[in-house]
Amino acid sequence: MKEFMMIFIGADYEELGLSPEQLQERMGKWFAWSKKMGEQGIIRCGEALFPTGKTISGPNRVESDGPYTESKEIIGGFYVIAVEDMAAATKVAQDFPDFDLGGTVEIREVMKFEH
Amino acid sequence: MNTDNEIKIVDHLFRHQSGKMLAILSKIFGLSNLELIEDAVQDTFLQASIKWRNGLPENPEAWLTLTAKNRVIDLLRQSKSLKNRNANYKLDEYSKIDEVYMNHEVEDSQLRMIFVACHPAFSKEDQITFALKAISGFSGKEIASALLQNEETIKKRLSRARKKIKELDIKLEYPDPNEIESRISGVLQIIYLIFNEGFHSIKENSLIDKELCGEALRLTKLLLIKDNFRTGTLYALFALLCFNSSRIDSKILDGEIIDLKNQDRSKWYLPLIVLGQDSLRTAQMYSDRSAYHYEALIAAEHVKAIKFENTNWELIIKYYDEMYKFSPSINILLSKTIAFLQIDKYNQAKEILDLIKPKELNQRVYLYHGTLAEYYIKINNKNKAIEELDKAINSCKNNLEIKYLQKKREVLVKSKN
Repeated sequence: MKEFMMIFIGADYEELGLSPEQLQERMGKWFAWSKKMGEQGIIRCGEALFPTGKTISGPNRVESDGPYTESKEIIGGFYVIAVEDMAAATKVAQDFPDFDLGGTVEIREVMKFEH
Repeated sequence: MNTDNEIKIVDHLFRHQSGKMLAILSKIFGLSNLELIEDAVQDTFLQASIKWRNGLPENPEAWLTLTAKNRVIDLLRQSKSLKNRNANYKLDEYSKIDEVYMNHEVEDSQLRMIFVACHPAFSKEDQITFALKAISGFSGKEIASALLQNEETIKKRLSRARKKIKELDIKLEYPDPNEIESRISGVLQIIYLIFNEGFHSIKENSLIDKELCGEALRLTKLLLIKDNFRTGTLYALFALLCFNSSRIDSKILDGEIIDLKNQDRSKWYLPLIVLGQDSLRTAQMYSDRSAYHYEALIAAEHVKAIKFENTNWELIIKYYDEMYKFSPSINILLSKTIAFLQIDKYNQAKEILDLIKPKELNQRVYLYHGTLAEYYIKINNKNKAIEELDKAINSCKNNLEIKYLQKKREVLVKSKN
């Protein structure tokens, strides 16, 4: 079993100005997805992230607000799942609810450290 | 958090809750803070849509209302005008307001909000738009598609209404007792218009039409809660909305309009019909009469007829005459014409049609040509009928209606050969 991180990028609901009705609909879709993965027992962890934050970069540790230039680059959250291989992870990501809002899923295999 | 694997959330909870939250928060913080309150409510739904992905809180409604209330307090603290001690003291007081109080006050606040929305200082268009936003919880985009307007127009209407609220210092209050009758009649008119926007203006997205009808019913029910708002007119309107709603699912089949004659009457929704009949009986026990009474009586006649052929058109014509006394409109005349045609009284039908000045119908002039075509079909003048159908098709903007008219024309052309 390998672990994969699905990173969710873009489709910021605030930016998109979704209505209460649409927000409720989105919530239902996410719930269905996490329920499905939960039943398969593949979720290792997962969190949602606030859209704002700080970046620190360079040897001088330059701090700046809001790491993103465009909302479509905002990382909204992630899931780590345990599945057979990249193909299986890609299959799981098919159910990501926000593709129709321009969202992207980036899938990266988690590197296992040798003990 | 409620982590069992069920998400039991009521349809439209967010949308409905949005209206409740706007009303109760406007009552607490004042209508002059409406825009800020709207932002707080929107922020709350954004949060909920993400935080509830894995399960609901024990009491979703209370969570939403409390979160929004606290968000309003945050936003008020941030706003510059409130950086003095008194204001902060007041905010501390606000933060003590609890869930119980809010639950208790929510219906009353929503009723008050209905009167704000239907304030006579707003135009009819602004009233409808503001009501759909502030009471029904639709977004600007949703209102735009429901009313077939562009989003910019809706934005302008909403900001015009908010500006008026500030300028005239409109409060979240019931009208004065001596005004209440005329104000309620204004409210009923808006509910009626919202319903008809959903019921008559057939859109390709019929879902939004149904939601408009549902909203009109919900608003009427809200008014019925309060003893001193109950009148024959209110019950009659409720009856009318119930009867018409009962056949909303039979009106369109596979993207095509099905007229009254061809609707599958077994699909009309019985519980709404029963509710309508009860309500109509109650309406008749009051002494007041209105156009809604007669429109409801007509709708009741249609519902009573097991088949189209069983319709009591003579009685319906009488009701149209009564209704016309209350609200003389060309639409009623057209409907009456159709009724005369059903019982083969062609001359009476033509007499009415000759009285109508089609220009006064503006964008609904196709209804006139459609009715005239119906007349020519009945007297077997197919060429004239096709001519009128062409006029109707050319002046109609709704794709579904055009399809309906074209189909009629096709049948006619075929029958000629």
